[in-house]
Order: sequence, then C-alpha cells, then structure tokens
Amino acid sequence: MRPLDPRLLRQARAARSYVLLTTVLGVASAALVVVQAFAIANTLGPAIVATSPGGDGALDRAEIVRWLAVLAGAAVGRAAVAWAQERYGRRAATRVVADLREQVVEHAVTLGPRPPAGAAPSDVATLATRGLDDLEPYLVRFLPQLLLTALVTPATVLVVLGLDWVSALIAVCTIPLVPFFMWLIGTMTAGTSERRLATVERLGSQVLDLIAGLPTLRAFGREIGPAARVRALGESSRRATLGTLRVAFLSGAVLELLTTLCVAIIAVGVGLRLVHGGIELVPAIAVLVLAPEIFLPLRRVGSEFHASTDGVAATQRAFAVLDLPAVAAGGEDAPTAARPGPTLVLENVTVRAPGRDVEAPAGLSARIRLGTGVPGGGRVVALRGPSGSGKSTLVLVLLGLLRPDAGTVSSTLPWEQVAWVPQRPAIGPGTVHDVVTDGREVAPETLAAAAATTGLDAVLADLPDGWESRVGLGGVGMSVGQRQRVALARTLVAGADRPVVVLDEPTAHLDARGEQVVLETVRTWRDAGRTVVVVAHRASLLAVADQVVDVVAREVARA
Amino acid sequence: MPENLRRRAARDPLVRLLPLLEVSWGRVARAVGLGTLTLVCAIGLAAAAAWLIARASQMPPVLTLSVAAVGVRAFGTGRAFLRYLERLASHGVALRGMAALRANLYDRLARSGADVVALRRGDLLARVGGDVDDVGDVVVRALIPAGVAVVAGLGSVLLVGVFLPAAGAVLLACLLLTGVVSPWLASRASASVEQRGAEARGDVTARTLELLEDGQQLRVAGRLADRTAGLRAADRRLAATTDDGARVSGLSAAVEAGAQTLAVLGCLLLGVPAALAGDLAATELAVVVLTPLAVFEATAALPAAAVQLRRSRAAARRLVDLLPESTGSRPAREAAPTGTLLELDHVAAGWSTSAPVVRDVDLTLRPGAVVALAGASGVGKTTLLLTAAGLLDPVAGVVRGEGLFVAEDGHVFGTTVLENLRVARADVTDDDAREALAAVGLAGWLDGLPGGLGTTLGTGGTDVSGGERRRLLVARALLAPHRVLLVDEPAEHLDAATADALVETLAGVARTSGRAVVVASHRLTPLDVADEVMLLDAEAPGAPARVLARGTHAALLGSVPAYRWAADQEEQAPIDV
Repeated sequence: MRPLDPRLLRQARAARSYVLLTTVLGVASAALVVVQAFAIANTLGPAIVATSPGGDGALDRAEIVRWLAVLAGAAVGRAAVAWAQERYGRRAATRVVADLREQVVEHAVTLGPRPPAGAAPSDVATLATRGLDDLEPYLVRFLPQLLLTALVTPATVLVVLGLDWVSALIAVCTIPLVPFFMWLIGTMTAGTSERRLATVERLGSQVLDLIAGLPTLRAFGREIGPAARVRALGESSRRATLGTLRVAFLSGAVLELLTTLCVAIIAVGVGLRLVHGGIELVPAIAVLVLAPEIFLPLRRVGSEFHASTDGVAATQRAFAVLDLPAVAAGGEDAPTAARPGPTLVLENVTVRAPGRDVEAPAGLSARIRLGTGVPGGGRVVALRGPSGSGKSTLVLVLLGLLRPDAGTVSSTLPWEQVAWVPQRPAIGPGTVHDVVTDGREVAPETLAAAAATTGLDAVLADLPDGWESRVGLGGVGMSVGQRQRVALARTLVAGADRPVVVLDEPTAHLDARGEQVVLETVRTWRDAGRTVVVVAHRASLLAVADQVVDVVAREVARA
Repeated sequence: MPENLRRRAARDPLVRLLPLLEVSWGRVARAVGLGTLTLVCAIGLAAAAAWLIARASQMPPVLTLSVAAVGVRAFGTGRAFLRYLERLASHGVALRGMAALRANLYDRLARSGADVVALRRGDLLARVGGDVDDVGDVVVRALIPAGVAVVAGLGSVLLVGVFLPAAGAVLLACLLLTGVVSPWLASRASASVEQRGAEARGDVTARTLELLEDGQQLRVAGRLADRTAGLRAADRRLAATTDDGARVSGLSAAVEAGAQTLAVLGCLLLGVPAALAGDLAATELAVVVLTPLAVFEATAALPAAAVQLRRSRAAARRLVDLLPESTGSRPAREAAPTGTLLELDHVAAGWSTSAPVVRDVDLTLRPGAVVALAGASGVGKTTLLLTAAGLLDPVAGVVRGEGLFVAEDGHVFGTTVLENLRVARADVTDDDAREALAAVGLAGWLDGLPGGLGTTLGTGGTDVSGGERRRLLVARALLAPHRVLLVDEPAEHLDAATADALVETLAGVARTSGRAVVVASHRLTPLDVADEVMLLDAEAPGAPARVLARGTHAALLGSVPAYRWAADQEEQAPIDV
C-alpha cells in the first residue's frame, strides 16, 4: 500500500496545491521548532550559568531580551502555521474531494447503462458520497503528518548533528528501528489479528441482526428469549475485541518505547558529558528540547494510521472506476446516415441480460423505417413483447447507449434529433414551467394545449403552486405516472424540433383516461411528421402502429 | 450541585443512558490512574532531564547525578508500558459499556409494549449499531482523556508552583487555554459544520444520485454538462460551510499550538528574575522552564474529545428516543368468541389516535376462512393487519383473538435456513422445514444450497433474492403455531405465476388445517381463491379508507368497474420480475 497515490496528484489539481501548501507549512513549522529550541537554550543557558553556585550573577540583559522576543515570535509563528494548516488545509481537502467526486460521477455516466461490475450506480453512489468523504481525514490529518515526518525529522536531526554529533548518532540509530520493529510485530501478529477481527465483526453483526429482527421476533411472540443471547454475544465480542487490541496496541507501544527511551538516553548522555565539559550548556539545552521533536511527527503518523488506510482505499476505489474504459457514445460517433427518412437495419441483434442466463433481445432482425419529418410522413413503430423480453434494452441499442453482444445495427438515432421518455423520466430541478419549456419562450396557449393533450393539466391541479411548483431536487415528489406526463408535455413543447420520439411504456402507470391521452399525443406527433418509437403492451397502442417489431428473449445454457 | 444544574444534567441524554452502560467506576478510575501515570512519566522525564542538565553544568561529582540519570531512563521506559496498559484498560471499559448497552437496549425494546412496531419505520434500527459505538467512544475518547488531563494538568501546575507560584499560575492559565478554550472552539466549529453542512451534504448526495441514475437520459437530452455544473456548485456550497467551520477550528488549532511556547515564555520571564534575585536555584529554574514543554501532551486530545462528546450526545439522544417510556407489558387481548379465530368489531386503525387510516372494519374469521384485503398501495392494508395482529392498538372498536403478522419486509436472520424457520417454533424438525419450503415452492432452491438446511443466510452468507425471501417468510409463517396468519403482500417481488401459486398455497393450508388466512395484496388476479375480497378505498383524498365493497373476486369483477379495469391491466401487462 502506498501512503500517497501519485495518481491523486496527477488527476486532482486541487491535490497538488494542497500538498504544496502543506509542504510549505511543514518547512515553516520545522524552522519554528528549531528557532524555539535555540531561543529557550540561549535564555535559559546563560541564566543557569549566572545563577549557579560560583556564577557571577551577571547576565547580558539585551541579549536575553532579544532571545525572549524571538521566542515570543516563535509562539506567534507556531500559532499562525497551525491556523493556516487548519484554515486552508481543510478548504483544499474539501476541494480535492469535490474534484474527485465530479470526475468519478462524470466518468461513471459515460460507462453506459450497463456498467461493469463495481461501477453500478449504487456502488458508485456509495463511493462518491460516503466513500470519498474518507479522504478528508486522510488529507487533513494523516498526509500533513507524513510530510512533517519527511521534513521535520531529518531537519531536526541535521540541526542536532550541528550541535552534538553523539546525540544525532543515537537518534539516527533509533529511527530505522521504529519501522523495523513495527514490521516485525506486524508480520508476527498479522494472522492472529485478522482472524480475531473477523470474529469481532461476526459477533457484532449477530447482535445487530437480532436487534434488527426484533419486530419479526415480536410478531412471533419470541422476543424475550434472545435477550440472554445478546448479552452472551456482547461478552464474547468484548473478549475477542480486547484480544485484537492487545496485539494491535503492541506496535504503538514499541514505537513509544523506542522514541521515549531514545530521548532519555540522549538526555542522560548529554548530562554526563556536561560534567566533563564535553559539551556546552546552551547546545545541551537545545538538544534536550529538540530531541522529542525528532520523533513527534513519527508518533502522530502512527496514531493517524487508520485514517490513511481508509483514505488510500477510497482513492484506489475511485481510480478503479476512472480506469474503466468509457463506452463510446453511439449518438456521438454514429454514422450520420440516420437522418429522418432512412431505415435502421438490425440484424441478429442479441444482448445478454446482466445477472441472468437470458438473452434479451435474442437474435432480433428488423428494418425500422423512420418518418420523413414532413406532415403526413410520420410513423409509429411499436416494440412488442412480454416482460423481460428486452424491449427497453432494444431502445438503449437504438439510442447507441449499449452495444449489442452479437449482431449489427446499421446506424443509431442521433441524440440531437431524439426526444426520449424512459420509464422513469428525469425531472427537474426547477419549476414545472421551466422543465416543460426548458427555458424557452413559449406562448401560454401552446403550454395549455400541451398540458391538455398529455394530461398534465390533471397533475397540475394537484400540485400546490400549479405551473410554478418546484419539482426535482428539494421540490415536490412525483409519482412515476406524473413524471411521465411532465416528460410527455416537455417532449411536445421543448422537444418540438426533435423529429424522433422514443417512448418506453408510456401507459404502464396510467388509468383508462391517461391511456387515451397518450394515444392522442402519439397521433398528434405522427400527423406532424415525426417518428414515434414506442414500447407497448396494450392493444390500443399497438393498433395505431404502422410497424410492430416483436422482441423475444431466449434462455441460454448456464456457462 | 445547584438545583438547575442537576436538572440539566438529568436531561442530558448521555447521563440518562449511563445506567444502561453499567459502567464500573473502579475500572474507570483504574484507566484514569494509568493514564495519569503515563503522563507522570512524560512530565517526570522532562523535569528530571532539566534538573540533570542544569546540575551537570555545575560540574558536580558524577555520583550526585546518578539518581536523576536512573530516573530519566526509568521514566522513559515506564511511559510506553503504562500507556499500553492504559489503552487496554480504557478500551476494556468502553467495550463492557457497549456490550451492556446493546443487551439493555434489546431487553428494553423486547419488553416494551406496541412501540416496537414503530421500529419498522425509518432507519432507526439501521443506525443503532453506529450509535452504540459512538456512545462507547465517549469513554475512550472523551471521559478518560479528560480525567487524565485534569489530574496530570493540576499535578504539573503544583510541581511548578512549588518552585515558583507565579509560574504555576502561568502554566495553569495556558493549560486552561488548551484544555478548555481550544476544545470549546473545536466543538463549536464541528457543530456549525454538521448543522449547516447537513443540508449542503444532502444536496450534493441528491445531485450525485440523480446524475448516476438519470445519467443516460441526461446524455441523450444533452443536459449532462448542465447537471454536472449543478453538482460542482453544490459541492462549492458544501465547501463554503466547511470553510466557515474552519475559521473557528483554525482558531482552536492556533490556541493549541501557541499556548505551549507561551507557557515557556511566561516561565522564563518570571523565572530568570526570580533566579537572579536568589529566590530560585539554577536547577529549579531549569525545571520550571522545561517542564511545560512536556505538560501540554495532557490536553492534546481534548479538542477531539469535545467533538466526540457532542457527537456521542447526539447518538445518545437518538437511542433515548428509541427507548420506550414504559416497560410495562400490554394488557392481554380479549379472546375470540367460540367457533371463531379472530373478530374485528368496528375497528379503526392508524398510527395516531386522532387520524385513523382505515375505519369501520368488521370481520369474523372462522377456521378455514380465506379473506383478501385489496386496495391501492398506501391505502392502509398493512396498518389494518398490524392492528388485527395485536401489534398496534385499534384506534376505535375491538379486536378479539390473536393472529400472526407476516411482514412484507420480515427479517431473515444471519443464521442457517433451519434456525430461521425455528424462529416460528423452537421444535421445528428437518422434515417439517423441508415440507414447509416445498409448500412455498422452494424445494428446488433448497436443493441448490451448498449446505442444505444448514446453509447460513444473509450478511456474510448466501444471498437471498427478493422472491426467495418472500417465500421463505411465508414458509416460516406456515410453521408457526398461530391459527390466524395475516400476510402482507405475499406477491411482492414474485413473477405473476409464482405469486398466484403462493396465495393458493396459503389458501390451501388454511382450508386443510383449519387455520384462517388474511392476505393483503395490491395484485388482484390471485384473489379468486379467497372466500371474500374486501376492497379498501378512501371516499375522498385524505379521508380514512373504508371497506368500499366486499364479496367474491368474481362478484367484484362484475359490480365494481374500477376493480374490473385494474384486474384487466394485470392480465395485459404481467408484472415485471
């Protein structure tokens, strides 16, 4: 596992500025630590010498005051650096998360309606919302400490080297021991702690399972019995967890032991050499103050380690999605032949249904003739077949959103000429008026006529603010049937210049009156010369069709 | 403690939840003691090293330094051991508390009255796990660090104060800055980010989901760029709330970082003149100045502790809300009249007494009766079944007798198939189980399972599809000793043929075993097996539903046009699998 994925720096521009900022602040904080140590040593040292038995009691007051001023400056400086890290570091971290979220979502959409495993909308949604939020503690807490370890630790060692090479040598010998012992303990305990962790998780989920099943147990009148079991499970869970922790805390203890012992050894060594005059008091104090600072970032990295595993895992999942090849959008690179008028030729088109041993559609061949676009030249093409036969899948193929697993399509429908009303149309955000007009200037009469034709008028009557009701995000909730009517009206008004209309089961959620309304709308479009491709179950819709394409599915042998 | 303070404390959800954690104060004291000793080592190391160096600079005989030298090494070694023991002790306290809390929560919920039905609504249960963890964390991350900080902080103030009282006061002031002011600021910042950020975060989530769900349509319609820009703007609003919080938490970080140096500066300013005046020995001056460098470790965890305390309090509040007010058991149901199994007499059902969802329902179930409740989704079929089962008190009227409510979303436990069926009755044998599974058409599914009846289901086990789950729940109900089965939407998630067969199985069981079955269904086709169909509908939008028509399926097809139309639609458009 890499603690910092270089792709994060390449892909997310905000990440680069974040790392730069943190590095600058890290250097500043290293410098301040050193300055503070020197300021303390240069005030305390002379004072001790002056007031020790045999000292002359004289102090260079100007010098002391100067160093005290430096120390005050260091206090202000440290406060400022901490403030800047929190203030701007957090801002930059949220930018990195937002940046990555946008990229992941945008890319996931280009994967088409049937994305590969791991990139299903629900998976990507979890990753893009909760998953990427794990990146924030990683960026805000772990990464700065990691950079500080890389900057402050060597810088302090170098300064100590300049003051007292023996102490520097002790520190340099200790530092490699830290990762070595942590690695040793890690490999020695890896198996046990993983096994124990699995036990802990299983026990924990059993308790929650019983609580979650309480309504069911109650319905059967068997809710009292498991109480003792919950307690017993909790007790075993506690024991198992403590067992894991006993091992997990070991590495922390070793880290702490090595670093504190090292500081102690440096302190005693410096003290003993002072007695023999092997070192001056001022550098001795500076070394004493600096010694713990060598190890401080290292210890903090250790305590924030879990933030790093979560953050790195989230980054890797995000890049796994970004690495998936986009499905070339058919509407963008399709041959330009599909102007209204010509014919789409489908030969032996077959799509394997995801997760089922079914091909739907299976071996479909058809010549779908489109309308001419001039009044009188319109056509209605109905796609017919039982549930699950692949009618909606065929629509996706016609739109070029999905490539058939076998067979060919002569051309797909160009998107800028298509108005598509799927089973669950996307609505909003905005007012009903905005959605239906799509921001264009539309005469009120045209709107009223469209509402009457599509049955939207009945929907509007139920909405609190009529045309001005807000729908979509944060607006009123709409049933699928209501959404479809809004989408139909939008297709009539805003989509008036699109010669091809694709309707997926427009009558599925409608009552008798609604069905009549859809029939009326389809006839209006045909009279205007448009092509209507409609997925239909009901006899009434099939009756108005100029062409009916039968879609059938086929079971295939389990692979 | 003043009266109003005590009352406020009693209202604090964490305090109210405390008895359920069964905290052993002896164990808490042990953890705090170990934590304090850890800090004693850290501070002792600094103080002893300071004294050692100051004394050594006076070039005394080496032997006079040996005690200090040994002390420094001992403190350096002891600290790691003590810290290890403290972490184990504090996590032990937390884990005990969490285990007790889970058990007590389960116990209270199980023994409560009808309130447990309310659990079915919302995601309350889904959050219980996380909330219990959050309440447990308060011990490790807030309670014990705070205790350690108070003891160790005061101890070091005393140590410095013995040498130079004024320096002790400076140290105390700086410790108050990092131990009180900085945590308070951090807690305020996180509160404002969470409150104001919740809305922005919700907006970002909603837009993300919309883009992912409707992405293909948006691509075709050419609106994708538009919506992505919307997401970007929402993310910017979210960043702005974080940014506002960072203004305050930045202050908290600055106070924390600056206070340590400030304390050293203050001790120098007071100590050097005192030493020059002869009030303070040179070695004591070193101790007074250098000890503060180690002391601030005591308060370093407190800003995070304050944030955790707030978060835990919110979790505790949710758990307290979940707990029933009373733990008294419910009065026993009136028995059904002789010859009947269940009787509903002018029953009105609903979640609140003021607004019934369904009213005026009369129903008498005799052995072998098969009754269907029909009506649109949301009309109140489930509420009526819950009331009939005794899981919900009737708003008006009387229910006599008892029944088993078989929920649409009944729980499949993460255990074996057999244990899942034994929820119905503890003495279900393998043969009983196989028979029940075969009755609901799961014989083939059972054969395909790797471990047969011993296969573990659910989380971490074999996945159960929606349709298999429905049938498993019905099989479990068939095994229960109850004589009345109230089955909610058995056809959900099933294809038309399986759905109709399942309803037929239920009807067959009722007729052959002398039980009674009520089936709620929005799908009408299978209802021809019922003796009677009760069609529920509201007369006006918003009014409670009543029985609009009742009779056999065939009779309703003839007499109710809306029923006929809906049934026709099912014939033409079989429900999707």
